[in-house]
Amino acid sequence: MKERAGLLVGLEIHQQLAIPTKLFCACPPVKTEEFPYHFERRLRPSQSETGKLDPAAVFEYAKGRSNKYFWSPESSCLVEADEEPPHPMSGEGLEAALLVGAVLGSHLVDEVHVMRKIVIDGSNTGGFQRTAVLGLGGSFEVEGTTVGVQSVTLEEDAARILGEDSGSRHFALDRLGVALVEVALDPVIGEPELVGRVALHLGRLLRSTGRVARGLGTIRQDLNVSLSGGRVVEVKGVQKLNLLPRVVEYEGRRQSMLVQVAERLKREGTRKVRCSHRDVTGLLVATSSGVVKRAVAEGGAVYCIAARGLAGMLGWEPEPGVRLGKEVAEVARANSLGGVIHSDEFGKQGVSEEEREALASALGAGTADALILVAGRAETVERVVLLIEARLGEAASGVPAETRSATDAGETRYMRPRPGSQRMYPETDIEEVEITRAFRERVAAEAPEPWTTVVDMLQKQFALSRDLALKLYDSESAAEFRPLAARLKLEPSFIASALVDLPVRLEREGVPATRLGPDTLVSALEAVDAGKAAKEALPEIVRAAAEKNVSADEAVKLLGLAGLSEEEVSRVVREVVAKERPLISEKGEGAFSPLMGEVMKEVRGKADGSTVARLLRRELDRALGR
Amino acid sequence: MGELSGYRGDALKFLKDAGASIGDVVELRTGWGTVSGTLVPRYLYGDGEHVVLKLKSGYNVGLSLSGVKDARVVSKGEKPSFAPLPPPKSAGGLPKVLILGTGGTIASRVDYRTGAVRPASTAAELHALVPELSGIARVQPEVVFEVFSENMAPAHWAKLARRAARGADEGFDGVVITHGTDTLGYTAAALSFALAGAPIPVILVGSQRSSDRPSSDAPLNLVAAVTVAATAHFSGVYVAMHLNESDDKVAFHRGTRVRKDHTSRRDAFESIGVPLAAVFGRDGLEFVAEGLPPRGGKFRPRPKFDPRVALLKFYPSMPAGAVRGASRLGARALVIEGTGLGHVSKEVAGELGRFVKAGGLAFMASQCIRGRVDLSVYDTGRDLLHAGVVPLGDMLPETALAKAMWVLGTGASGKRAKEMMAADVAGETTARTFPG
Repeated sequence: MKERAGLLVGLEIHQQLAIPTKLFCACPPVKTEEFPYHFERRLRPSQSETGKLDPAAVFEYAKGRSNKYFWSPESSCLVEADEEPPHPMSGEGLEAALLVGAVLGSHLVDEVHVMRKIVIDGSNTGGFQRTAVLGLGGSFEVEGTTVGVQSVTLEEDAARILGEDSGSRHFALDRLGVALVEVALDPVIGEPELVGRVALHLGRLLRSTGRVARGLGTIRQDLNVSLSGGRVVEVKGVQKLNLLPRVVEYEGRRQSMLVQVAERLKREGTRKVRCSHRDVTGLLVATSSGVVKRAVAEGGAVYCIAARGLAGMLGWEPEPGVRLGKEVAEVARANSLGGVIHSDEFGKQGVSEEEREALASALGAGTADALILVAGRAETVERVVLLIEARLGEAASGVPAETRSATDAGETRYMRPRPGSQRMYPETDIEEVEITRAFRERVAAEAPEPWTTVVDMLQKQFALSRDLALKLYDSESAAEFRPLAARLKLEPSFIASALVDLPVRLEREGVPATRLGPDTLVSALEAVDAGKAAKEALPEIVRAAAEKNVSADEAVKLLGLAGLSEEEVSRVVREVVAKERPLISEKGEGAFSPLMGEVMKEVRGKADGSTVARLLRRELDRALGR
Repeated sequence: MGELSGYRGDALKFLKDAGASIGDVVELRTGWGTVSGTLVPRYLYGDGEHVVLKLKSGYNVGLSLSGVKDARVVSKGEKPSFAPLPPPKSAGGLPKVLILGTGGTIASRVDYRTGAVRPASTAAELHALVPELSGIARVQPEVVFEVFSENMAPAHWAKLARRAARGADEGFDGVVITHGTDTLGYTAAALSFALAGAPIPVILVGSQRSSDRPSSDAPLNLVAAVTVAATAHFSGVYVAMHLNESDDKVAFHRGTRVRKDHTSRRDAFESIGVPLAAVFGRDGLEFVAEGLPPRGGKFRPRPKFDPRVALLKFYPSMPAGAVRGASRLGARALVIEGTGLGHVSKEVAGELGRFVKAGGLAFMASQCIRGRVDLSVYDTGRDLLHAGVVPLGDMLPETALAKAMWVLGTGASGKRAKEMMAADVAGETTARTFPG
């Protein structure tokens, strides 16, 4: 993937801290599957210093949209429910985050002030997130590039979205309040691979503290992407590191398309796209468009927007896979509306030429104008039409500042307009915390070994390849490795590979990732180490244990893998050698490999390869008369 | 707010020397670089060593003077000002509701620049916070006084009662009183007596989450209170607060039977021993109890309270001197929160006897909260009866306190006062006890 000139990317990493409680209460930071209780709330925009209320927010509130919160005493209490003031900030959380700050060379503040950051999308029951800056500045090196740190922040995680119905969004409270450290970096050149490497390096720096949680969902990356000094787009929630380069590449492509659209519009003399709309449900009664038919059948409405001077522009792809039409559809989808068809795709979507003409004349649109049909529930359509018009109004000014989310395919989707200046005010329920000199010294004394030193050590002490040592360092099971290597007779490289490569391979083969935790791997390694099964059988044991949800020992039994005695192996070897006399006569010493393969096939999983080799060597020597 | 609100000691001197005031953009030079931001106020109990800046990102950070070399004012800030919005206009035909503000945090606003949270200090601001009120009624907000709930005293009850009574005379269809929640139950009881027989509903309303938060329970409680004050067919004094933890229903509790039973939940208030008076839901009143007094009728307010009443909670090992102490402080009446059916130790019982003999009034309620006192079951109870202690049935101790102050305020004493305490004036006692 190539770098795009002028593209700048600022990374923001949100990393869960490994502490026994949430940040502002004593609840354990665990995921809950069942929620016996729920309640329903409506968040209301609070009034600012100017005495003004955001009219759009008041409008939303007045429409009665609410948030349903599902919770369990396993993972939440009244604090998450916004029914009790927060408890004092977790000292362990503070210490862990300060340690992260220290590792990044950030200048720690002397007094920590917890703030309320207003968030009224429902993901925080209070309508704000609690967050505090601990460190300012700092930097680290990634392969010769110095990456600046803007700030290190300690904050609480938001509630987990479960879904939504027509009247409300549903959230789970288990994740709300979990302690996160947020590291915001200075922008780097938007070269996709570089961004990936920076994130990887930063992740390792964080893990070197030993105070951050591991595993799926414990780290999230946000990106601030801008092109040639244009407006900044915030991309939220890149969960997997390997998606980062793709997201950067896609977002660069998308922003470039928007800039090209704006330039083309300006060349054609459009400074601002003007739109008009009307209800056209009556004009499309006989349409063969499935989207429109469905909306009408469900009692909905169809509106048509005429966008002046946009003919041909919505379907234009100056860059592969991105076009203005897609942006429009995303605005609709972000408001739970799927039915958008623009005139560049009328034919494909079953809107006939006669219908197009009827629509054009109803809206007074000419050949230079684009038409956009918006179909769905009447009140949603009315709202979305205005949002689409607002979006098209910006088409001539390039990239709009907005918040987008990353998809699993490495693309980005519109979420909402970017908030103006972030509204923050002090969390008056929590006293400021002084970072005393003693506290500072204690944190400094805990400064961990740099991760590169640890990886070097792993590589040398256990004779691991660089790649395996790095993978081990990054792995969730890293903590298991050293004790296992000391305790088991198995080769360290075999243990390391079993801990880091095997779960990845099995997951790819469809084994549920949740059951591939360290416990299963460790017990399977122990079974092999104790001679209960052969090394070669390890993947089968782990697979069976994971799929059938049984212990490794039980998996050994289920698979009939109880190891063969040396005598039994010897017998198999003799049988094979006897059977393959002609091969031995023909190839002599060269028969070893094929014979080995034959024997291994016979004893598969029930005998260790090295035992088989030893016995076969003896028997072959005998057969060759040595 | 002063120029350097909250700062003291070295920090105050340092900032004064730099010529900085709250709201200025200030640059601090430290050993590791410069930090610039808006100078924000410090809390009341902050130390004298740190300066707090609000960074451009919106975050506040505290920097120790020990690491700061010098400060420079980059630009002078404007004083924070809260420009009130003009209250929205209501349609002419709507009912009229008087909203009385008493302070507390039901209405407050945030200055995001400095982070200060201010109570809405004018009536218009209070109204502007919940503009939809103007669709329900023609509201006239007034701030009667600004007092934290815990500082509320009988003199405040009297003032509120007089203003509410005048509201009825002025033709308001209802009165809504915003009030801090800590002593909301006491005020509700006091007003229930002072305004007994009032022709219109008087609704006290509070909130458990201040209105600077998007999750505040204040707007819904206020909407429910104003709606009921404007349109309900019944009169009387009620407390309006969330029915449960959701923002969907508001419970109306009778002023004499309500208690704050949780320190922080939205549904902290509970009706004790009686059903709720009413429940307000998305579509208005969903439930109204039978037997509430109708609107209208002749009415004479009795808004006087004699504060010389003490509420004593009996506890194991309570010294008899506690009763003497209250007496010495001038108490004319005592409300005792006895254990169980209404008991106190022998020593305390003896001292109560002496207090009554000397002309004092002693009333017994139970610290069990639920159920009624009965002084005839055990010897201790009979001793108390014999000593002249008056049992108050299932009256709540807090209600009994307010009632005793009111009874004495009417000028009653001796036998007459005892009779008034025992008689039901505003639903404070019931004849029958039910589960729950």
